[in-house]
Amino acid sequence: MSNPKKYPLIEMKAVTKEYSPRTRFFSKCQNKVLALNSIDFSIEKGEIFGLVGQSGSGKTTCGRLLVRLEEPTSGSICLNGSPVNKLKGVGLKTYRSKVQMIFQDPYQSLNPHLSIAETILEPLVVNGLGTAATRREKVLHTLEIVGLSPADDFYDRYPHQLSGGQRQRVAIARAIVLDPDFIVADEPTSMLDATIAIQLFQLLTQIRKRFDMAFLFITHNLAAANYLCDRIAVIHEGHIVEVNTANNIIQHPEHPYTKRLIQVQPGFDFNG
Amino acid sequence: MALLSIKNLSIGYQTKAGMLKAVDNISFELERGRPLGFVGESGCGKTTIGMALMGLLPGNAHILGGTIGFQDQDLTRLNEDQWRRVRGKEIAMIFQAAMNALNPVMRVDEQVIEAIVTHTPDISPDDLGKRINELFDLVEIPRARIKDFPHEYSGGMKQRVIIAMALACNPKLIIADEPTTALDVIVQDQILKEIKAIQKAMNTGLIFISHDIAVVASVCKDICVMYGGQIVEKGTREEVFRNPRHPYTKALLGSYLSLDNELSVVIPDMRETPDLTLESGCCRFAVNCKTCSSACKADTPKWIDISRSHKALCCDETIIRNSHE
Repeated sequence: MSNPKKYPLIEMKAVTKEYSPRTRFFSKCQNKVLALNSIDFSIEKGEIFGLVGQSGSGKTTCGRLLVRLEEPTSGSICLNGSPVNKLKGVGLKTYRSKVQMIFQDPYQSLNPHLSIAETILEPLVVNGLGTAATRREKVLHTLEIVGLSPADDFYDRYPHQLSGGQRQRVAIARAIVLDPDFIVADEPTSMLDATIAIQLFQLLTQIRKRFDMAFLFITHNLAAANYLCDRIAVIHEGHIVEVNTANNIIQHPEHPYTKRLIQVQPGFDFNG
Repeated sequence: MALLSIKNLSIGYQTKAGMLKAVDNISFELERGRPLGFVGESGCGKTTIGMALMGLLPGNAHILGGTIGFQDQDLTRLNEDQWRRVRGKEIAMIFQAAMNALNPVMRVDEQVIEAIVTHTPDISPDDLGKRINELFDLVEIPRARIKDFPHEYSGGMKQRVIIAMALACNPKLIIADEPTTALDVIVQDQILKEIKAIQKAMNTGLIFISHDIAVVASVCKDICVMYGGQIVEKGTREEVFRNPRHPYTKALLGSYLSLDNELSVVIPDMRETPDLTLESGCCRFAVNCKTCSSACKADTPKWIDISRSHKALCCDETIIRNSHE
């Protein structure tokens, strides 16, 4: 992709998101909830960027804004330097093929009525890519990449026949089948067991290396972010309190909230 | 004498695919003051054990054999009336999903009062009021908030109410089933400290169930590692976590991510889910075991002692003995 002016792949500039509470007919209370308050960060090509925070900190809202499931109240989001806020029609469709999402719960994010093949084919069909034969090839190839092999075996299965880890691999296959530039992974392993989660992290690292894709990895688990990410942003009550390389965040945290997060990580101290 | 003594307990679920042995021939003992942790992944049977101890197994579950010895009685033989006298009063449970474990249309204090009145119907109103204040003080919920409804509470506060409810009748044994899984790390830290402090103060028996090895290690002195319905390794937490012997325990510890970069991560190659329909006594880990031989798959695993308290379940004694790192 031509990128002469060295824009970052994706950038959030002063993004703010407010939610207004449901208004009732006679209610006077109009307190708005400020989910994100002037968020700035950028992610480079091929980078895994971690967004770490507690529940309610705004980390998921951030991800939903980036894939344009929601619109920011103010501020702008740019892909390769061009703003995406105003995209409509064809422009939006192109954007959505370049930016994909992996959701938290693989038990809810796959349509139980669609076979694995249909699930992964859908993005190709919607975007009118290839013929039936090349699509089938592409799906089989993608299944192999995400480690569901032999791919023929999984092709016609349904989600209920798969384990949680396998389902999440299908969700990853669906996200990468269009060769996107950027993937938002919202707590992709929080529903999975440790031995399965670590294998998925390995898969994400391989995909990043192979296709030079960038990831926004949203998590509440600082240790997981430390393992997977190049840089980490710590988000607290809608503010990004600290951004640094993963190593620096853990070794030399500056913000008191980051220090607190590190301090409460359960470790193997056998004194208690 | 041990507070709780389980011998050769097996529990199965009747399903279309046949009898799933969710708990396969499990034995352990629990002393007061020595919290026991069960760690393992989803489907390993840890919650089924907790439910069996509460007499809350679902309709399609059957106790296939074994005994649950608790205070001179075998809990597997109790009828529903007898269970009602044990459940909540002698053995109490801290449930996983605090969000769903409270009744949304009842005030918080009434829910705890209900637990007390059910088991001590002739308690005087004065004593009841005192007891309620005592309990809410213990779990650090301000008195001004005890008349609130559950939706006015945060996740951590709801979990504290669940703890207060479990403590309401001074039970001798508390089962905590993933009590912090739905909470974020900062709240988790507070709740774990609270559970530890209360256990010490009241000297109750505690069974702590979690998928998170670090959480179990921070609360429990003794650990049972479970896989596919079997306990595969048990010992003190130092023995199990510093000197793991069973291949599954090693995989579990290897996949644990910590902030301490010195603990290296070993990516396990575990693709298969254990087959619970297998004959009782087979090694369930064989499908994922890298050190497994063909003889292993046919054989029945046996307990191999590493020390007086530390043992692992395997067919091949040399694997367990020589796997010291």
